[in-house]
Amino acid sequence: MRQFELSAPETVDDALASPGAFLAGGTTLVDLMKLDVMTPHRVLDINALPLRGIDTQDGLRIGALERMSDVAAHPGIYPVISRALLQSASQQLRNMASIGGNLLQRTRCSYFRDVAMPCNKREPGSGCSAITGANRMHAVLGTSDACVATHASDLAVALIALDAQVRLVGSDGTRTVALADFYRLPGATPEVENDLRPGELVAEVVVPRLDWAAHSTYVKVRDRQSYEFALCSAAVALDVRDGRVVDARVAVGGVASVPWRLRTVEAALRGSPATQASFEAAAEAAAEGARPLSDNAFKVSLMKRTVVRALLELTEGSRA
Amino acid sequence: MTSRLDGPLKVTGRATYGADNNFPGMAHGYVVLSTIAHGEIEAMDVTAAKSAPGVLAVYSPFDPLALRAPTSSLLGETWVPMQDRNVAYYGQPIGFVVAETYEQARDAAMLVEVSYRALPALTSLRDGLATAEDAPPAMDGSPPSLSVLADGVESIEDALAASPVVVEATYATAGQNHAAMEPHSAVAVWDSGVLTVYSGTQGADLQAADVASALREEPASVHSVNPFVGGAFGGKGKTSIPTFLAAAAARALDRPVKTALSREQVFTATANRPATVQAISLGAERNGTLNAIRHDSWSATPMDRSFVEPTSHGTSREWYSTRNLAISQKMVPLNIPPTTFMRAPGEAPGSFALESAIDELAVALDLDPIELRQRNNSAAPPGRDLQWSSKHLDECFRVGAARFGWSERTPQGRTDGDWLVGLGTATAMFPAMRFPATVGITLHDDDTAEVATSGADPGTGLLTVLSLVGGESLDIAPEKVTPRLGDSSFPAGGMSGGSTATASAGSAIMVAAPRVIDDLLALASSPGAPFEGAEVSYADGRVLGGGASMTFGEVLHAVGRPSITATGSSAAGEEMTKHSFSSFGAQFCEVRVHRWTREVRVSRMLGVFDAGRIINAQAARSQIMGGMIWGVSAALHEGLETEANGRTANGDLASYLVPVNADIPDVDVHFVEHPDTLHNDLGARGLGEIGTVGMAAAVANAVHNATGIRVRHIPIMIEDLLPE
Repeated sequence: MRQFELSAPETVDDALASPGAFLAGGTTLVDLMKLDVMTPHRVLDINALPLRGIDTQDGLRIGALERMSDVAAHPGIYPVISRALLQSASQQLRNMASIGGNLLQRTRCSYFRDVAMPCNKREPGSGCSAITGANRMHAVLGTSDACVATHASDLAVALIALDAQVRLVGSDGTRTVALADFYRLPGATPEVENDLRPGELVAEVVVPRLDWAAHSTYVKVRDRQSYEFALCSAAVALDVRDGRVVDARVAVGGVASVPWRLRTVEAALRGSPATQASFEAAAEAAAEGARPLSDNAFKVSLMKRTVVRALLELTEGSRA
Repeated sequence: MTSRLDGPLKVTGRATYGADNNFPGMAHGYVVLSTIAHGEIEAMDVTAAKSAPGVLAVYSPFDPLALRAPTSSLLGETWVPMQDRNVAYYGQPIGFVVAETYEQARDAAMLVEVSYRALPALTSLRDGLATAEDAPPAMDGSPPSLSVLADGVESIEDALAASPVVVEATYATAGQNHAAMEPHSAVAVWDSGVLTVYSGTQGADLQAADVASALREEPASVHSVNPFVGGAFGGKGKTSIPTFLAAAAARALDRPVKTALSREQVFTATANRPATVQAISLGAERNGTLNAIRHDSWSATPMDRSFVEPTSHGTSREWYSTRNLAISQKMVPLNIPPTTFMRAPGEAPGSFALESAIDELAVALDLDPIELRQRNNSAAPPGRDLQWSSKHLDECFRVGAARFGWSERTPQGRTDGDWLVGLGTATAMFPAMRFPATVGITLHDDDTAEVATSGADPGTGLLTVLSLVGGESLDIAPEKVTPRLGDSSFPAGGMSGGSTATASAGSAIMVAAPRVIDDLLALASSPGAPFEGAEVSYADGRVLGGGASMTFGEVLHAVGRPSITATGSSAAGEEMTKHSFSSFGAQFCEVRVHRWTREVRVSRMLGVFDAGRIINAQAARSQIMGGMIWGVSAALHEGLETEANGRTANGDLASYLVPVNADIPDVDVHFVEHPDTLHNDLGARGLGEIGTVGMAAAVANAVHNATGIRVRHIPIMIEDLLPE
């Protein structure tokens, strides 16, 4: 870890006035500083800022500095969100990690984390080691020739499914951006991961009210039962009446460069019977456009199966 | 008494491990690793590193610390860094930075610029199979290839061809890192010409000898201290790189030096279990009687060919009764980090292959897998006259089957909601051995005793065993016995390895105790002593004679001796010419595989073991549990991935997976206790390593039972079980 200057602004204005890396829970930043992947000269501890609070009056409003564990335990949270949070990281990390930081966490691509290796995301133009390297954990959707890393957040997958927005504050004022527009595909500039402008801060997550999202879940498939990132995950919410799907939200994680909404699957589900057969038929579209790598072709099939499993668990109840 | 004497210290953070030691003026070292797998270092620019804040010295092949590779009879030669400019693997130690603080040393190390002349690297075991070499002789001296054929049988091929039922398959196991919680580390302090090294190792006296040899110092001037070892598993048998570097730098700089590998560095700058490939053919009669076993093994090995995983010698050589047997061991030299012993070297990966093959044979014969194993139970290893001293494997299976509900198993498994449920079993064996060990027993005039041996307790429970066996041998309460371990100034305890420590040190205690008691009695009845001229005996910590009795402390007090000491030694002896020795076990597990997403969860595990007499039931159970969990890890989680360029793709604990609590259900461990006094007077055989043997096969066999899919490599991944 390189030497850095640490300050702790107490107001948002003070935080925005001085450039530096924002430190909330530290579970990404400190980790990457220890690996020499991030080498900020100035670190701003923003934990004293008033970006707190969970409001469930009309949809959800979650302050960016709320801790993952507190949000997961809050009674008014949609199941898909709390389940995504509870299957993230470990209890110790969830106690520290903030909601804003979770959405901004960097990829777990092992080449990004190893400064001895080329990585376009860490060092633009140096090349992508994963395309020809160990890429079992990597993305099959939304990738480019410059980067095949996945986005690691479970929460973001659930939020994308619920049409969530982020409220951003900067020296030019406040703006609200749909999370789906906030994340950027890697394209030729994988170092640009989101719409955040220099000095801008995530202040709040806003989830529009969706009453039938009470009927939602998050299924995460991984190489061990806890404390591991997703090979594939699915966030689903279903509005089922009289055995038919009236409306559906489906998003997947662990398989794409950004949290990935499956609108074609949603469209196929709408109006169809809530049966295994129609779920399987709808899930066929999940991997449209997938570009598997040498070690992760199985994600195409796993993605469809994960979506089917999540839909079935929601309609048949948990059978674990 | 406390079931584990060092438990309270360890769980409250008061146990002092090597790197916990701090001294005034101590400097910190950081190791620089190579980033190519094969080639030559043309230059190392250390200018920036040398002028970085706090830096005291930067060592490299161009300005090395003088070190000589030490050799031990048990482990062969140990490589030391920086003595030439060759790079043989990615992550090889090639430099060493010493600074005032750890952070300064690490930051400066990142400023070292290395220029290489890279050469083509061989990194794939699969690609190297075609050019494999014969392995050197096994540890017992047997040749890499050997066969036992029935009279009139010309070859193993003939024996297989004559067998009505044959199964043939090739299996693969991944390399593994020991990943002990305590990274390899050392603190070295010179004082008045004597070097004290604080460093976790499996044998304090062995480490002292290695360091003395490497530094060309007199053995007496090196003192090794390791009262606590934060896990070793074979990975701290050889003296580690930080120990050599800290010791040499402390001498060069005339300051105490501390060095610890980072977690990432542990994956390449120490040594790993090599990956293996194994081809097995089993030939059987229709009733299941084995006619032929052929087991050909290939092990990855580093370019110095220093260690080969002996998978066929460790299993098929001895496990089943068969008329015909042929085994072979080859090695594939690769540009990979060093390889070395890891718990059950040979037996752990070997049993995955053999016990999977036996399960495949059971399927082919439509026979219960336990029945097939029992039908081929051996009274002695094939082709050998020496019968097993005490073998109760049948009882392990019988007790285990009843305890586990084996009779409810069906050949097709069963389903429970969305979960496919299967049961699997496997045999476990691990040879019973003793290594040379010497123990000193001291009786004090306050009626306490001390049992000391240099050795090591790398979490295995030896410290507690010393007090339990010491108390028993001295006929006093174990609370009165202070066990002392992990200091090269104690009598040479040798190596804590090979599941030998309890039998080795325990036997030595049983030699030393009568000696110190004899000395006590001679003292008690000597002229001027309380029992002068009397016929004396010893019981219950007391000297008896002439109708009177005194505690040994009272006797020592009376004769003005604060203490008396005697030593005793033991080693494998005459028993090896009379019997074959092994511990035995039966592993059981139940897995659940999700119908849709195919993750495997182990839902129940049971191991039943025959390891002779159990000295400390709780510690024994813990050892076995740990081993069984490691077996699950090998089956479902753990595996080193080497990239084409030789880089370890998953060299950290974020990507090298081991099970978390959620992966492990309740683990049931049971012992059938039959003391084996043919092996040693204590009656105890080793049980440190056997817990992991067979477990991976039991998991794979259960997965087959649940899904019908036979996976012939470990770890088993989700994609192995996904239908097209």
